[in-house]
Parts: sequence; structure tokens; C-alpha cells
Amino acid sequence: MAMRDLVSGGAACAVPGSSSSSNPLGALANALIGSSSKTQERLQEIPTATATASDGNLHAGMGEPFNAALPGSELEYMHPNAQGSEFLRGFHSMDQNRFSDAWDDIQRPQIPHFQGRTGPTNLPLEHARLQQDFDGPPQKVLSNFLHSFLHSGHGTIPFRPASLPVLGLSEGDKQCIRDRSSIMARHLFADKSEEFIHTQVNALLSSLDIDNDIRARGPIPGRFPELEEYWTESQHMKPLSGGADGWASEFSQQLVPHDNPNMWAQSFERQHGANGWASEFEHYLPLHLLFLEKSRVHIDADEYACLIFLAKFQEHLQLASVDQMRATGVPNLAAMEQTRMLAHTLAQNNDPKFQNSKFLQFVSKMSRGEITIEDNQFKPAGISAPGDWAAEYEQQHSGGRSWADQFSNEQASSDFPKDTMNTCLWQKANMFRSFTSMLRTFLLRFLVLIRDDILQSAKIFSDLTILTIQLSQGPHGWANEFATEHGQQGSTEDEWANEFSKLNVNDWSDEFERQVADGVLGDSSGDNWANAYDDYLNEQTALKQKSDASRGVYVFSDLNPYVGRPNPLKEGQELFRKGLLSEAVLALEAEVLKNPDNAEGWRLLGIAHAENDDDQQVDILDLLPLFSLRWTAIAAMMRAHEVDPTNLEVLLALGVSHTNELEQAAALKYLYSWLRHHPRYSTIAPPDQPENLYYADVSVYLDCNMHVNVHKLGYMFMVARLFNDAAKLSPEDADVHIVLGVLYNLSREYDKAIEAFQTSLKLKPRDYSLWNKLGATQANSVQSADAILAYQQALNLKPNYVRAWANMGISYANQGMYEDSIRYYVRALAMNPKADNAWQYLRISLSCASRNDMFEACDSRNLDILQKEFPMI
Amino acid sequence: MATQLKSDALMEQMKLHMSTDAGKELTKKIGLVYQINIAPKKIGFNEKSFVVDLKKGEVKEGAYEDGKPDATFSFTDDDFLKVASGKMNPQIAFMRGAIKIKGSISAAQKFTPDIFPKPSKM
Repeated sequence: MAMRDLVSGGAACAVPGSSSSSNPLGALANALIGSSSKTQERLQEIPTATATASDGNLHAGMGEPFNAALPGSELEYMHPNAQGSEFLRGFHSMDQNRFSDAWDDIQRPQIPHFQGRTGPTNLPLEHARLQQDFDGPPQKVLSNFLHSFLHSGHGTIPFRPASLPVLGLSEGDKQCIRDRSSIMARHLFADKSEEFIHTQVNALLSSLDIDNDIRARGPIPGRFPELEEYWTESQHMKPLSGGADGWASEFSQQLVPHDNPNMWAQSFERQHGANGWASEFEHYLPLHLLFLEKSRVHIDADEYACLIFLAKFQEHLQLASVDQMRATGVPNLAAMEQTRMLAHTLAQNNDPKFQNSKFLQFVSKMSRGEITIEDNQFKPAGISAPGDWAAEYEQQHSGGRSWADQFSNEQASSDFPKDTMNTCLWQKANMFRSFTSMLRTFLLRFLVLIRDDILQSAKIFSDLTILTIQLSQGPHGWANEFATEHGQQGSTEDEWANEFSKLNVNDWSDEFERQVADGVLGDSSGDNWANAYDDYLNEQTALKQKSDASRGVYVFSDLNPYVGRPNPLKEGQELFRKGLLSEAVLALEAEVLKNPDNAEGWRLLGIAHAENDDDQQVDILDLLPLFSLRWTAIAAMMRAHEVDPTNLEVLLALGVSHTNELEQAAALKYLYSWLRHHPRYSTIAPPDQPENLYYADVSVYLDCNMHVNVHKLGYMFMVARLFNDAAKLSPEDADVHIVLGVLYNLSREYDKAIEAFQTSLKLKPRDYSLWNKLGATQANSVQSADAILAYQQALNLKPNYVRAWANMGISYANQGMYEDSIRYYVRALAMNPKADNAWQYLRISLSCASRNDMFEACDSRNLDILQKEFPMI
Repeated sequence: MATQLKSDALMEQMKLHMSTDAGKELTKKIGLVYQINIAPKKIGFNEKSFVVDLKKGEVKEGAYEDGKPDATFSFTDDDFLKVASGKMNPQIAFMRGAIKIKGSISAAQKFTPDIFPKPSKM
């Protein structure tokens, strides 16, 4: 809930009379990022990390802008009535050069409970603390008091009113505290009764000598539905004009002259109090952030506050549906205004190192909303101010190559004199010279994206931030772990910094360039960073929603020209026969739309997909709830199965598809069903579920040295034995042998499978799909040369057999003949550009063949270029 | 007994692959020993270990006995398939927490999809 407050301005600290619906978080972000020249320095410092060799200086440099980043706040800071938390105040009072010490000092008294925190057991500790902290400067007292209020939520012990020394709170402060604490209380004690909430709040307020008048209690319950509404509206953005107008008009009420970005921060300050956020959200600190105190990441207090917000954001994201997030990817006017200001500010910076940092350029561009993520692609949003350096960059790198791509490129050889355990992220860490600046960068980006409502990208950066923290952990961190293992003297941050100071940091941007130019190690197709993350998010959401039923949900193509024609089935059959698979799919879709109970229509649709190599890709189906994608073979087949559960061809096709996906149990189920429903063989198959049967003949598996679930094994054997019996019953029945072959593929008894297919091929030599099955079996048992011959037979019979073309590519690639494999992949893709697997394999082959020049074409799925470059010989 | 993993099929193909020319190329090109721990659902639970020994050119089940592997990876079943087939970029997978890595960084970087033979579809 608090998240909504943040963005929709519901946090009740609005000064009466002023608009409370501006984006307070945006203002915070601006406060930290966009305001002064100090911030520019700060930003500048991030990519270039100039001059200094030790971390101490780095921090000192950061310490300064921190003060300035909240213009007008210094005074408020020193104001004894400021509702600031302990560590913020403590930080400021510390000598900047002892920043890290200050941090530690502040951390220790402040949050001792985190160290051992497991739950409510810390309450006694806090109460003890309560007593001893009630002396000292007023702001310290206040903040401790507030903290203990926050933490009283952990236990069931109600918060006790305490007699505090006079704190000298102003009316505004009091109001602020009252309102905010009420809301906080609702969050904290959401699972408790209203009574309890009121009691707690009253206790707090009376201790502080604040009137708890109706004003505080009354409007709040009413407020929430409004907030919900506002939030929902802004989330969905469907009434985009409505939402955006709302924002824009609110915005324009607060519109400040462009040349005074400080105004933002000031107005924010006015409304919400200096650094109020930190104390509010400390409560929400997730466990892994707690490691911060042990980690070697040194950040300042505002960043800490942001981290806390970030934690809340993460939490919120887990709850929010990806759907909504997608919707909020549309930039709203107000946010764009703000970002333009930022970009303008950045553009003022004439430092060429800064300007040339492609890293910053792209990220800024993205944060300006000029690039959005749609359909898993980076797309420019079509707005570019003339003379805009970011736009120029975009033009130069029209593939939307993200900094993340650069980020994930490998260095040609390891620059680490110590072969420290690591991943690419660590390798890139040296770019930043310390966990700290890396963290800072990510956090900064996160804030900017949050401000601009680009939540998906913000999520990426929030995860990065957390990852950084995790990785930087002291005793649990990887670096330490590795150091211990290898007896090296720890990769302390200082040592890293020392090492990196040996790098010529002036060439930072050059180094990036170089990495871009170097080959990609393992970068798969279309996978710039955010896209992959996108997929991940979608998968996670979809996984939760996935069930067998949903796997069978078919999504039809739009704009189907065959809809409305008199006999789409006939047309579909004709097209299928001719080998125009994609067209056949459309016609058959029209058919099943017209006659949903036409099993033949579904069956053929499924087969058409399978032959088009549109076979079930797990991730595509997982994305189905979110995108309208074409149906896949399995989905169509399952629909057919639904319509007619006894249709043997459907059952076989489903068995094959699941075998391809290595889904043993499902495949077995369908193949067994085939047997059960076959008029001739149903008597062989016992009517009850065979899973309880057990066969002891496991010898064939022992030489593979693999453990197998005994029951599954038994089941498989039993089914195989049944098929064998069936085959003996009618040796002329090719189908039985086909099913047997598929079965043996499942159990990886490839020789038997090959035998079975060859038998059936004698009976059905013109069955192209059979040749493909044979070939695939041979290929999977690494008899690639034979496989290619089989595929060739299949293609002779059916030249448009996409699957066979793709399989050819695979077989060549597996033999190391990458150039050839590329041709076959391209050929397959030309026939069916939607065969995602083939795109991925193509990219791998391109990489192996050192054809990195073609990566872009591959990533952008540009078949024209690829076909020109790799024609079939 | 451990359950059957989809990755079993891939590992088996890899095993056979090692005896081919292409497989032998791998040993020349990479020459490292990887241990791969694959869990059915969640990393760390019910793991099955494989050793992909690209020095000797072997694939075996079980933990590496002859010393320490150059790098050790932990995946879930599905994720391993994705990485091996190129659907998931290993570095991105790491950032997402889909892979856990231990050992030498340079060894880990060489663990890429192109090491693995691809399965063909019937």
C-alpha cells in the first residue's frame, strides 16, 4: 500500500491546501538526481570514476553532493524539529573523510536488532533501548521513539506511551507525524484490529503531545479507496488520456520553470518533510538488505533510504501483475517532462568522458522514455529533440544495443591477475572500481526509472542493486568465499580499487567500445538484457498461473483471411498438402473457429504446427496468458484430444510432442492411451492404471550410470512390453512400430527405436514424418551422418518440411559444421520465421562460425540479410 | 532414488557426443572440468551431479572425484535445458539467480551453450 502512496502522493504529509497528488517519489528521485551541479558531478563520477585511487575519496566526493542534493534541506536538517532518522543526522555530523566509520557507527546503535533479527523476539531489546535513548538531542529522541513505534509492530506488545522530554515539534511537524503514523500504523498492524491500531497511534501521539483529532482518523479510511482508484488508474493507463491528463494537470499546477530544477526538491520538502522516507520505510527492510551493514558497500544515508524504498518496490512487484507493469511502461507526460530536465542537465555537462559514455547515453535515453520495451523489443518512442546527443546515439546503434549487451560482453582475456572467482558481473565490477559505485549507479538508474514509471526496467535495476549487495557481503560473499578457498588475501574493496586504479580509467569508454567489438560469448539471440529479464518476469508470473488446462489454451492469429470462407477445412487440407504450412495453419484456425468440435480440424492444425517446427516451446506457452501468440502443436493437439479423446493420431502426436520436450510422464500417458484406445490392442493393455506395476529389469539403465525413478521405469518397461506384444500380434501394422519407436526414444534406447522406425518405414516408405523421426532418433544417438540421410529422404518427400530443415541444421551444428548448419537454419526460418528454437540455434552457430557480423541481423530477425548472406547451395 | 531429469537426456547426448570428432574438438578447445549439479525444482534440493570432463572427454554422473572441478554450476532442470539450448544467456541467468557458480571465473565463462549438442525433434 505504501508503494501506492509513494507514487500517488497519498502519504498524508501534504500541507493542507496544496495538492497532494504529485509523485513524491519522483520528487525524491529528482531531489537526489536531477537538481544541482553537484549531482552532475556525482553522475559524472559514476562511469568515469576518475582520479582517486582509494575508496575513501570516492566517498568523500559523494558525501558532498549529498548535502547539496537536497537543496534547502540543510537548514531543515539542522532544524531540531526535523523528522529525520538517526543515521541521517548522524551522518551529516560526521567528518566526511571518515565516512565509512561514520556509517558503521551509525549503523551499530541504530539497528542492533537487525543483527539477530528473526522476528518478534527482539522486542525486549527494543524496549530496553527505548529507555536508554530518551536522552540526547531532540531529533535523536524523536527518531528513536518513532523507530520503536515502527518496530512495535513485530511483537504483540502494544506500544506504550512514554514520557518524552519536550521535543519542540512545530504544528506542521505534529500534523505530519500524526498523519503519517496513522497510515504507517495501518500498514504495520494490518492484521490487527482497528482498536489496536488506534491504541497504538494514540499512544504514540500522546507521548509526543500531539492532538489526535478526528482529522487524522476520519479521512484516512476514506482516503484509501481513492488512492486505490488512483493507483489502479495509473497502473492500467487504459484511460491513458485520463490518467496522463490527471498527472499532467497536477504536474502543471506544480510546474516549475525549467531552469530551476531545485524547485522540485523544495516543494517536495515542503510537503513531505526532509528525508522523511527513510524512517518510514526502514520497517520494510528485507532480510538481504540487512547484510548491508556487514558488506563492503558504503553508501550514504539517502541511498540507504532509497534502498529501503527499493525493497518495498520489490515486494510490491511480487504482488503486482506483470500486466499492469506493462501498461505502466507507457510514459506519462509529467514524467517525461522531468526526464527531459534531467537529460538537459546532463547534456549541459561538457565533459567528453561523460558525453562519450555510451553506457550513460543509452540508459539516459531509456530513462527518458524514448525507448520503451514492447513485445520484448526495444523500440524508440519516436521523440527526439533535434541535436540530441542521445538520439544520435540511438541512430548509430539502431539495433537498440543496450548497455546491458555491452555489459555482458566478455573481455578477451582475463584482466584479473588473481583469478578471482567471478561471473561477468564481477568482471564488470572492475569498471566501477568498487561495489559502492556499482551499487550507486544501479540505484540511481532505478530511481530514475521509477520516477518515470518505467517499472519493468526499474525492476531490473532493483534486482541488480540487490545482487550487488548480496555479492558484496562480507563473510557470506562470494569474493570472501573464494578467497578463503584459495587462500588469497581477500578481495577486499581496497584491493579491488587498487587493482583497478592500474587500469587506465580514462579509457573506460574505449574499453566498452572494445568489448562491444569483441565477440560475444554466449549471448543468445534477441537477448539484450532487459528483454531476457522481461521474459523471466513473464515466466515467473505465468508459471504461477500455469496448469494443464492453460497449456491447452490456444490463441488465434489476428486478421485471418480465411475466416468467413465457406469451407476452410478443405482449404486447409489443400494448403497442407501443398506444404504451405503457415497458410494451412490460418485456414485451419478458421475452420476450428467455425467448428470448434471438428477434431480433424484441430488435429491437422496441430500437425501443421508441428511440421512448421512450432512445437511447444515451454516458454512460449508460459507467456500465453500475457501475449496473444500463435497456437502451438501441443495446444492444438490437446484441444483435439479434448474433442475426441480416442483419436489415435492425436494421441500419437501428443506423445511425440511431449517426448520432444522431454516430458516423460506426459508422453507415456498419451502413448499408453494410444494403446488403450486402439481397437485391436486395447485388450492387451490392462484397464487399470499401470503405475503400480513394477519391473525389475533395470540392467539396461545401469550402464548409463543413471538413477531412475523405479516406478516410472517400471511403467515404461511395461508399456514397452505391451507394445512389443502388440507388434507381435500384427507385424504388418506400421503404427505400432512407430509408437514403439517413440517409446524407445523416451527411454533412450535408441538402437531399439531405430529398429522400430526402420521396420515401420518398410511398411510405409513414403511417410515423410517417419523419416524425420528416424533421423531425429539417429541424431540424438549421435549418428549424425545417418540422420542427415534420413532427413534428406523426408525432404525429398516434402520439400517444405520446416522441422526437417531445422533438424538438418542441428545435425550439422552438432558435427561442428557450423557454416552448413547456418544455411539450413536460415532455410527453415525463411519458411517459418516463428520457429524460435531455430533462431536460438542460428545464433549459436553464428557465434561458433565467428560470424558475429551477422548477430544484429539475427537478433532483429532480418531474414532478407540472412538469406542473402547464407543462401542454400 | 533420484527422480529422472529432463537434463538426463541432454547429458546422455553429451556423453555420446564426446566420442565424435566434434566432441574431441571440445576437449582441445576448452580442456576444463565442469561439475554440474541439477535439481529437479529448486537449486540445492535433491541435486544430481554430473561431471562434464572436457579434459578427458567424458561425461559421468556423480561428483568429481579426481580433484576439484574447474567450475561448478548449479541449476534447476528446466534452466539447464534453457541455457544449454541457448534460450537463456548464462550471464543473465546468473544475474537472475538461475545459476549458482563456484570456481574459476575464466572457466565459468567458457561454459556456453555451444558446448552442448542440440536435441533433434521427431
